[in-house]
Amino acid sequence: MAEPSAAGRSFDEEALPHLDTLYRVALRLTADPTLAEDLVQDTMLKAYRSWQQYRPGTNARGWLLTILRNTFINDYRRRKHEPVAMDLEAVEPHALYRSVQDVDPEGSFFSQIVDAKVLEAIDALPTEFREVLALSDIEGMSYGEIAATLKIPVGTVKSRLFRARRQLQAGLYAHAVEMGYIKPRETAP
Amino acid sequence: MRRLDCEQALVHLEDYLKGELTPDLVLEVRVHLDRCRDCTGHARFEQSFLIMLETRARKETCPEEVRARIVAALRAAARGS
Repeated sequence: MAEPSAAGRSFDEEALPHLDTLYRVALRLTADPTLAEDLVQDTMLKAYRSWQQYRPGTNARGWLLTILRNTFINDYRRRKHEPVAMDLEAVEPHALYRSVQDVDPEGSFFSQIVDAKVLEAIDALPTEFREVLALSDIEGMSYGEIAATLKIPVGTVKSRLFRARRQLQAGLYAHAVEMGYIKPRETAP
Repeated sequence: MRRLDCEQALVHLEDYLKGELTPDLVLEVRVHLDRCRDCTGHARFEQSFLIMLETRARKETCPEEVRARIVAALRAAARGS
């Protein structure tokens, strides 16, 4: 192998800084810490072996996330019991703001929900929603970057994100009502 | 510049908050928000949701032992190749 140390050095410098992002996205995709650890390790080993395909100075984070995502779909997804065939467009988006604007327009009930419940609500979303939400709203990637990483059109990224946020808000709201953090709006008699 | 109604402004609201709109559209949404209290309230709500999401879900980091295991696996792969 030519220049193993130089290749190893550049891999360390370009890839290792993204471990936290890879780990968080893996957690959201698998919803299982043990699987997430294996997924990140498999991803890093695959990335290392195909490091010569990476063009230095380009988007290492996106490149690594594409590998992580493909590995997840090919090797991990089938291990989970998950309804895959779901019509994503069938989820009718509803603006939660309309339900809470009279009682909690600032959405302060969000701050009462504990972190673990927020993550649980994210992990309850369909995979296609979880992944765009994780990349956009948690990792801060642009729509264009996400489209390139997932190999889907920007319009699809946007519509999935829109529905993912609505569904997550609905889940968090249901939890907040259950816990008494917010009282549902009185319906007119 | 177009004058957006509430429905048009809300279509672009989240892309506006995420900084994903063209400068023209940013201006149009901003002008609408300046004169519409209802949409401003809606925008504030979505903003607090997005901030909550990022601050809560970005706390997790790759645990040290996992990091060490991965680095060890990479070193082993480097030796083996």
